[in-house]
Amino acid sequence: MKSGVMRLVPPVSRDRIISQFPKWYTPEACLQFKEHFHAQVRTACQQSAGTAGLKLSKVVVVGDLYVGKTSLINRFCKDNFDRDYKATIGVDFEIERFEIVGVPYNLQIWDTAGQEKFKCIASAYYRGAEVIITVFDLADIQTLDHTKQWLEDALRENEPDSSFIFLVGTKKDLVSDAVCERTELDAIRFANEMQAEYWSVSAKTGENVKEFFSRVAALAFEQSMIKELEKTSGHMAQIGAGNLISMLSFASYVHFPSSLSCC
Amino acid sequence: MAAAAAPGPRAPGGDGGGGSSSSSSSLSMERIQSLTDLSDLEAAYGRLCEEEKVVQEELDALLEQQSTIENKMVALHRMGPNLQLIEGDAQQLAGMITFTCNLAENVSSKVRQLDLAKNRLYQAIQRADDILDLKFCMDGVQTALRNEDYEQAAAHIHRYLSLDKSVIELSRQGKEGGIIDANLKLLQEAEQRLKTIVAEKFDMAMKQGDLPQVERFFKIFPLLGLHEEGLSKFSEYLCKQVANKAEENLLLVMGTDMSDRRAAVIFADTLTLLFEGIARIVETHQPIVETYYGPGRLYTLIKHLQVECDRQVEKVVDNFIKQRDYHRQFQQVQNSMIRSSSTEKIEPRELDPILTEVTLMNARSELYLRFIKRRIVSDFEVGDSMASEEVKQEHQKYLDKLLNNCLLSRTMQELIGYYITMEEYFMRETVNKAVAMDSYEKGQLTSSMVDDVFYIVKKCIGRALSSSSIDCLCAMINHSTTELESDFREVLYNKLKQGFPATTFQDFQRGVTSAVSIMHSSLQQGKFDTKGIESTDEAKQSFLVTLNNVEVCSENIMTLKKTLESDCTKLLSQGFGGEQAQAKIDSCLSDMAAVSNKFRDLLQEGLNELNSTAIKPQVKPWINLFLSVSHNIEEEEFSDYEANDPWVQQFIVNLEQQMTEFKAGLSPVIYDTLTGLMTSLIAIELEKVLLKSTFSRLGGLQFDKELRSLIAYLTTVTTWTIRDKFARLSQMATILNLERVTEILDYWGPNSGPLTWRLTPAEVRQVLALRIDFRSEDIKRLRL
Repeated sequence: MKSGVMRLVPPVSRDRIISQFPKWYTPEACLQFKEHFHAQVRTACQQSAGTAGLKLSKVVVVGDLYVGKTSLINRFCKDNFDRDYKATIGVDFEIERFEIVGVPYNLQIWDTAGQEKFKCIASAYYRGAEVIITVFDLADIQTLDHTKQWLEDALRENEPDSSFIFLVGTKKDLVSDAVCERTELDAIRFANEMQAEYWSVSAKTGENVKEFFSRVAALAFEQSMIKELEKTSGHMAQIGAGNLISMLSFASYVHFPSSLSCC
Repeated sequence: MAAAAAPGPRAPGGDGGGGSSSSSSSLSMERIQSLTDLSDLEAAYGRLCEEEKVVQEELDALLEQQSTIENKMVALHRMGPNLQLIEGDAQQLAGMITFTCNLAENVSSKVRQLDLAKNRLYQAIQRADDILDLKFCMDGVQTALRNEDYEQAAAHIHRYLSLDKSVIELSRQGKEGGIIDANLKLLQEAEQRLKTIVAEKFDMAMKQGDLPQVERFFKIFPLLGLHEEGLSKFSEYLCKQVANKAEENLLLVMGTDMSDRRAAVIFADTLTLLFEGIARIVETHQPIVETYYGPGRLYTLIKHLQVECDRQVEKVVDNFIKQRDYHRQFQQVQNSMIRSSSTEKIEPRELDPILTEVTLMNARSELYLRFIKRRIVSDFEVGDSMASEEVKQEHQKYLDKLLNNCLLSRTMQELIGYYITMEEYFMRETVNKAVAMDSYEKGQLTSSMVDDVFYIVKKCIGRALSSSSIDCLCAMINHSTTELESDFREVLYNKLKQGFPATTFQDFQRGVTSAVSIMHSSLQQGKFDTKGIESTDEAKQSFLVTLNNVEVCSENIMTLKKTLESDCTKLLSQGFGGEQAQAKIDSCLSDMAAVSNKFRDLLQEGLNELNSTAIKPQVKPWINLFLSVSHNIEEEEFSDYEANDPWVQQFIVNLEQQMTEFKAGLSPVIYDTLTGLMTSLIAIELEKVLLKSTFSRLGGLQFDKELRSLIAYLTTVTTWTIRDKFARLSQMATILNLERVTEILDYWGPNSGPLTWRLTPAEVRQVLALRIDFRSEDIKRLRL
């Protein structure tokens, strides 16, 4: 029944299919240097391709107001850019479908409001985030300073070391290359302190947006696959160990005298 | 065929000297003359004869055709004159057609001219009509104005305004231009005058609050082409009414007694009255606007009204914040959340009424905004039925802007923001209190805290739900999930961590150590439990109750999730929430459901703990008693055993005793799982001791009997099948019951029939070796 329903869903669009591990933006602030998926994950994917239930990761996007969180998400999910500023109310929400190494995978992107008055609502959504994206405006250095506070708030609701952290500078099109480079140096320093991966993007031109989200999806996907593998293998071990009758101990008991005499 | 074959040999035109030249037609005279040999001559002759025959046949065929050809020729000759006739007819026809065509053209050109003339005539009449109308209008306006019949006057002006301007221009250039010019001038003057009069009269009526007059002049504006002005003036009037009513209400509120039944939600009520008032205005005046101003104009009216609405809402909310000390309470909550200890903590119960009021206020606002949205959308739909997609989008944008940017929604968002923090605090503190006040009544499976905690969580989420704001609801679901998952689960986890104390009379040694550990743990927690060892019973009770609690929690979470799901479906079906609302809720609820599994895991952990600390230490010695009963027995002992059961009956009695304690204290589901764990344990332990014993033939029979009664007993106490768990033991009993070693082959391999062996060949040999009367050589010789 379920598989019948699944089939009704249109296939994932071509540019959401990831088969190679996407590269980092800058080696100076990145979470992983690998260029391939974990071998274990890859084989697990090939075995379970198509049959396993839909996997899903939660992504939370935080940052000051007017840095372009919604624009970033809209550029990626709807491929459009609205020049008019429209403040996000509370939280918004998009689901983006991927196919990674043949396995369907969803990113659930929570777009939070940057305005102070919505902080109470937005912060309720931070829990259980596999990925935290802290966003700042490359043209407004103050917003970079605030990312630490945003991250701290988001981390408070999550278990330590359970989420990937990204630091994203937006509006790259608004600053000159020289300014961008200078800000990036600061941002990379911040990213290293936050243990985050750094990216510069522009939602207006679309520069690096797709690459960035692909990277997010791939990292989150791999993490969740590894977690699942650990869980299933752990479970199996438990079931086996609990119910096996140890004839072996008896056998060793019988053989013991002979081995003693050997010595 | 022959004719075709004949040219064949002719073609090659051979000149080979080797005789038999193949060509016949080229058998020229010289060639024939040059022939000298008789045989050659004969051959040439033969060939010529053949050729002649062929030619003869061809000729015959051709001659045969001659008659038909002649027939055809005759027929053709006969047709000749007819053709001439046809030619003549065709020419005549062509002439006729040309003539008709010319005629038709002539006629139609006349008709066209007539049509043109008619059109011009019509135009002329129209113009004449217009001019007459103009004159009529002018006269009419004058009289109407004199008679103060403004509707009539406006109707005339409307007629004038709807006249084709170019026609008027044209008429002005005519002979009577002067008169018309004068007329026009008069009309324009009348128009201006009427406009000012209507505006003045309207203002006056508005000042006097004379609704019929207001409506009368309101209807006149669109006739004069002053749609916007009319709407704005009219809404000004309506706003004033709204303001008056709202002010009255607010004064009433300030004067209400705190003991009033509705005092706790008086501000929500005031907002409700305000919204209802506006809604009623929209309801009653929409038909007028639609009839006199056309569809698509409601937006303008409501936009004006919303400004007043915002103003009034601001007043009410300001009063609310002041009177209820909203901000200060929020500050206090925030402080007590940051510094969890000391300072004067705000009593959560005090927050209860204000939280209810805020959600009610928000719910009313959402309801109002939804009403407005529905009205405007349907009005636009009628107005834009012919409009382009762009216009529609433009209108949609206006609407979104109106709804999202109005002060009302912004204020409510702010209030809800504070509300969530306060509600979270309320929930956390009340849950803590419920945990602290936890009590257990004998005969109950669970303690009070589970019911209390879920009552609180349900209440808080229910309140968030009642605000009709999806974001607010999801936020509270998330907070509840966190609260249940971390704080409350922690409480239960800590209780389970204290362990299940073993009973002293069963194992004194163990009892002492557990008592020590209890004292130790209570010392660590900073409160010395003076009851000490006597409290083991209570500790046991507490452990079992906690297990029940954990199970009920896990179930309650699922129930809560299901209830919320249906509640949300209801809410969404009423049209609240945006496009992604369903997905948002689903995501939050699935997070919540995941917590249920965490409680299940915790239950499993607790059961394992119970099994290993309480059941195993007792069951194991009982089973070990099996070793002290010899199964190497003869007839006499066997019948003696039959009379005085040596082991199994006592074992069953012991089990029974032990399990009754758990059966009373645990919920059926947990008890079932526990007995499941216990039977596994028994099977494993029994197998161990079995392999340490030796058996005679009758001893094997004895064991078989014992096992059967044990299985029979266990089947009665469990609801699941336990045969599976005892499969290996049953098979061992079968082996121990064999007459001869080789008899095993009747059951093994291809003879096994429906029986699936759970024992490996090595194990079978091992069990066989337990029979003292089986020789090891025989066993070794077995081919399994």
